[in-house]
Amino acid sequence: MYKLLLCVRYLQTRYLAFVCIVSVMLGVATLIVVNAVMSGFSTKLKDRLHGVLSDVVVDTDRADGFPYSPDEIRRVIAHNEVLKDKVAAVSPTIEVFAILQFTYPNGAPVMKPVRLIGIDPADRAAVGGFAEYRVRQKDQTAPSLDPAPDALKRHEENREHAARLDAVQQERIKALEVPQARPLVKDPTALPEPDLFQGKAPPAPQLHGAVLGYSIAHVRFTHGGEMKEDRILQPGDAVTLTTAGGAELKPVWGTFLVTDYLKTEMSEYDQSFVYVSLDQLQRIRGMGDRCTALQIKLKNYDRDKVAVTAELEKLFPPRDGNRVATWEQLQGPLLAAIDVERGILNILLFMIVGVAGFSILAIFTMIVAEKYRDIGVLKSLGASSGGVLMIFLGYGLLLGSVGAALGTATGLWITRNINEIEAGLTALTGTAVFPRDIYYFKEIPTNVEPLRVALVNGGAVITAVVFSLLPAWRAARLHPVRALRFE
Amino acid sequence: MLRAENLTKTYRRHAVAVRVLTGLDLEVHTGEFLSIIGASGSGKSTLLHLLGTLDAPDSGAVYLDDKRIDNLPTRGRDELRNKTFGYIFQFYHLLPELTTLDNVLMPAYIQHSVMGWWSARGEWRKRATELLEKVGLGHRLKHRPRELSGGEMQRAAVARALLTKPRVLLADEPTGNLDADTGAEIVKLLRGLNRDEGVTIVMVTHNLEIVSATDRVVRMAGGVLTDDTRSFRPHAPRPHLAATV
Repeated sequence: MYKLLLCVRYLQTRYLAFVCIVSVMLGVATLIVVNAVMSGFSTKLKDRLHGVLSDVVVDTDRADGFPYSPDEIRRVIAHNEVLKDKVAAVSPTIEVFAILQFTYPNGAPVMKPVRLIGIDPADRAAVGGFAEYRVRQKDQTAPSLDPAPDALKRHEENREHAARLDAVQQERIKALEVPQARPLVKDPTALPEPDLFQGKAPPAPQLHGAVLGYSIAHVRFTHGGEMKEDRILQPGDAVTLTTAGGAELKPVWGTFLVTDYLKTEMSEYDQSFVYVSLDQLQRIRGMGDRCTALQIKLKNYDRDKVAVTAELEKLFPPRDGNRVATWEQLQGPLLAAIDVERGILNILLFMIVGVAGFSILAIFTMIVAEKYRDIGVLKSLGASSGGVLMIFLGYGLLLGSVGAALGTATGLWITRNINEIEAGLTALTGTAVFPRDIYYFKEIPTNVEPLRVALVNGGAVITAVVFSLLPAWRAARLHPVRALRFE
Repeated sequence: MLRAENLTKTYRRHAVAVRVLTGLDLEVHTGEFLSIIGASGSGKSTLLHLLGTLDAPDSGAVYLDDKRIDNLPTRGRDELRNKTFGYIFQFYHLLPELTTLDNVLMPAYIQHSVMGWWSARGEWRKRATELLEKVGLGHRLKHRPRELSGGEMQRAAVARALLTKPRVLLADEPTGNLDADTGAEIVKLLRGLNRDEGVTIVMVTHNLEIVSATDRVVRMAGGVLTDDTRSFRPHAPRPHLAATV
């Protein structure tokens, strides 16, 4: 009983001990906040990394795609003993590099390298990572790449504007009185028109839509200290996509109307991905009904990923230029970097708790020296050496526990209010503590993991006890007579 | 009751060895109020520590009721100090963080676990309060040691020493830090305890004025007893005191 009594009394009366408590508290609070933010970043980043990728991706190096049609592939998967019950959806796609050409609103021509992806919107939505990121048709169950009425209207307006400009141009050429070229025939208008459509009206040209990565169609700039954004490609604006196609891989191109934007908040994707219809891309590239990649969604990713990838590797052997990978394998280096960064940060930050441990050691040594006589008195009253040891170990445990509890409360409070705190700090210092345009997050993401909080607390308490061990052991070993005579 | 046989004790400080006791014999009888006098460094306090198992002799033995106690395991000696011996120090040695009542209760706190204390606390508190009232500190239960005078602190220390109803009270210069009147009060208190409750008391003192209140006075010099007044005559036959001059 005396051990508990003295621990509590020492805690209440030794104000020096509050230094230990504050040290432990700061260490624990920092670790909890950093872990919550790192975990938030990690979770959000993983979501985004997974975002546009389905669970398993199969692709081929062959420019002309897999030597099977998507229907044949689906049939094989549907009849495969391993895959049939594990695969939820398959989306055939074509993924190639391309050049995107368009004009700025001021008429300046622009050319950008992009990753051109041909998809069937419904199939792609079924495997995930598409419909939820669209800006104008967000989360639609039947997403489409076709231009919306407002896009078509703008397209018409653009055409009329272009026609007007063309007419003005023609008038100017006429005004210059440029000598007319001599016609090949006397009266060209007398030639009969070729009957291309057998007397029927020519069909309206089919307009194909394209979904652009958000950053392709928008520019960000700072104006008056504020981050602003301008849209440079409106829905209905025309873009030209040039890639390689045909047996000889010669340049091929097509014109598409902007129908929507894809905003994954992953700059790599938002700056380079362009989605068009699979059929149209197959036609432009002369691929028939082939595809170059398969996005596959599993019914239970964690359970089935190993079995499914192994089976798919049998169907699409790597020696034929195929690759089968889970989304984690594809993003492996980045995911590993996050984990490594987090581990290193934890080690570095745990040094704060280490510093707290050394302050406990120093302060306890002082307290033990100060309590020499009391230790002698306790022993003269029958207290055992083990009992004295337990007083100081208990005291360390108590300080560690109180510090950890206060640190946990502080850390959780900071985590909960981190965006308000960041705003306050930004207002105070005039410098953005968390620049949104760099991180691409609207707010600082946090994720409190109870297990990690428990580990941090446990670590802090153990550190406090371990560092109080030496002074406690010295106190326990103290000879009572020497302690009573201590001046 | 309490017997020391041929005790020797040497303290070493760096390379220097100081022989404090050199073959000391002493017997303390039940109910005796014995005072030990002698010059500084004569080994009085050391003898007291050896008798109370606070320290171990280099050679010789200490017996309590003919049972050797100086070589008991640590746990056994701790228990003896908690239940059989009561200590009073010159500088009171109350724990500054605790109230007077908690200081007096300390031997009971040491005796019990948390659960054990929960069931026995009523009785112990009652006894501690009675003892504090007996020594005139009934109104100081919640005071901290720093709020008490020297005499009051020493009376609290006496109450603490008596809490577990010890058979032997070992007092190391209990009046050494008090003025004459307060010192006399403490001796009077001890005398009363010895007379009324039969507590055996061994008191080390420099003050020759207060030894007159004790039953027996032994003088120490050079690590042995040099004089024994034997004014006290217990029922049991006296053993031979080899070192008495």
